[in-house]
Amino acid sequence: MWIGGVIGGAALAFAILQPIKVLPRIRVAPGYALTDQAGESFTSESARGSVTLYSFAPLDCDSRCDEIFSTITEVRERAETEVDLGEAEFRVVTIALADAPDPSALAAAATASGADGDEWRWLGGSADRVRTVVGAGFRNFFEIEGDGTVEFEPGYALVDGAGVIRGEYRYRTVADDADKIVSQLGSLGVELRHSGGAAGLAYEAAHLFSCYG
Amino acid sequence: MATRILRTLVPMLVAVAAGALVLVLVVREVAPHSWSGTAFATATPAPPFTGLTDDAGNPADLAAQEGKVVVVYFGYTSCPDVCPLTLSRAARAIDALGDRGDDVQLYMVSVDPARDTLDRLGEYLRHFDDRFVGLGGDVDTVADVAASYGVFFEVQPPDDTGFYEVDHTATLLGIDRDGNLKVIWDPDIEADPLQSDLEELLG
Repeated sequence: MWIGGVIGGAALAFAILQPIKVLPRIRVAPGYALTDQAGESFTSESARGSVTLYSFAPLDCDSRCDEIFSTITEVRERAETEVDLGEAEFRVVTIALADAPDPSALAAAATASGADGDEWRWLGGSADRVRTVVGAGFRNFFEIEGDGTVEFEPGYALVDGAGVIRGEYRYRTVADDADKIVSQLGSLGVELRHSGGAAGLAYEAAHLFSCYG
Repeated sequence: MATRILRTLVPMLVAVAAGALVLVLVVREVAPHSWSGTAFATATPAPPFTGLTDDAGNPADLAAQEGKVVVVYFGYTSCPDVCPLTLSRAARAIDALGDRGDDVQLYMVSVDPARDTLDRLGEYLRHFDDRFVGLGGDVDTVADVAASYGVFFEVQPPDDTGFYEVDHTATLLGIDRDGNLKVIWDPDIEADPLQSDLEELLG
C-alpha cells in the first residue's frame, strides 16, 4: 500500500513535470559592435532583451541567399501570428560577410533582401571583426577569397534576450528551416512567458536536467 | 458498508499522502540550486585569455586557475558608475564566503587599453579586494576575448575636457572549478544572491 502511494505520487509528479521542454542554452553568443545600413552603431547590447534570429550572407549573393531571405521572411510573417514571446521583441540581424562594407552597400543589400532596417537589420564590420563574430562566435563557416568572392555555409542562430544561443540551424534536414525556427521560437516563447515564480523554477530545473525538446 | 469503505479509503489516502511527503522530501534533497544568474547545463570550456597580460606583467593563463572558481568582468578604471558598483558587490559576495573566498579568483579585463596601464589596473582593483587581478592587452586582443565571452565594448567620443567613456557589456561571468563557463550574472546582481551562486560553484 505504502509503495503504491509512492509510485502514485511519483507518477503524478512525472505527469505534471514531463511536458516541460526547453531549448538548450547552447553557449554565450558573441559580443560585437558593428555598423548597420544607416551607418549607425549596433551592438550585441542593442539586441539585449530581444529574441534575435541571426543570419550571415555576402553582399552580392546567389540563389543560396534567395532561400535564406525567403526563410527569414516566412519566419517573420509566421512569428507574428503563431508565436507569443511575451514582452520580448523578435528581431532579425543579417551580418554581411564582407570587409568593412559602406553603409550604402549594406543598405542596397538590405533593400534587396527585404530588410526594413528596424526589425531586420544588416550589419557590417572589418573582415577580422566579422571573422571573430561569425566564425569564432557563431561558428558559421565563411571565407572571403582574394577576388572578393565569398564561400559560405548558409546558417541561422537564435539568440535569447540574455545573449545566449538557443538554436543553431546549419545543415538542411528533412524539416523546413522556417518550420524548425518557428517551432523553436514558440518553445522559447512559452519559456519566456513562464520564466517568473514557481513555474520559472520548474523551467530552470528542466534546463539543468537537460529535458531538451 | 460505510465502515468497509472507510477501512479501504483511509489507508489508501494515508499511503498517497505519505508517498507525496516522501516525494517532496526527495525533490527537496535533489532539487537543483536556484541560480540568480543564467546558468548553463552543459559543460562548455570557458574561452582562454589568449594574448592578455595580468597586472603583474605575466601572461594570463585561465587554465592555471583550474580548481578555483573564476569570475570574469570586462570594465575600465575610468568607468563612472556601473564598474565600481558591480565590483563592490562582487567584493562583498566574495568576502562573505570567508576562507572559501580564497578559492574564487576575480579578473577584470580592461576595455580601455589606451588609459589602463597594468599598474593602474592593479591599483584600482586592490581598492575593492586585494585578490582581484586586472588583465590587459591591445584593443584587438581584448575585442577577441571579449567577443568570446559575449561582451562588446565601444569607445565613445570625448567631451570638451577630452574625457571619454567606453560603452561595454557589464555582465559578470562565472567559471566553475573545471574551467567551464557556467553562469552569467546581470551587472545589477546584489551581493547575497551572488554569494549563494558562488557557494554553489564552489560545491
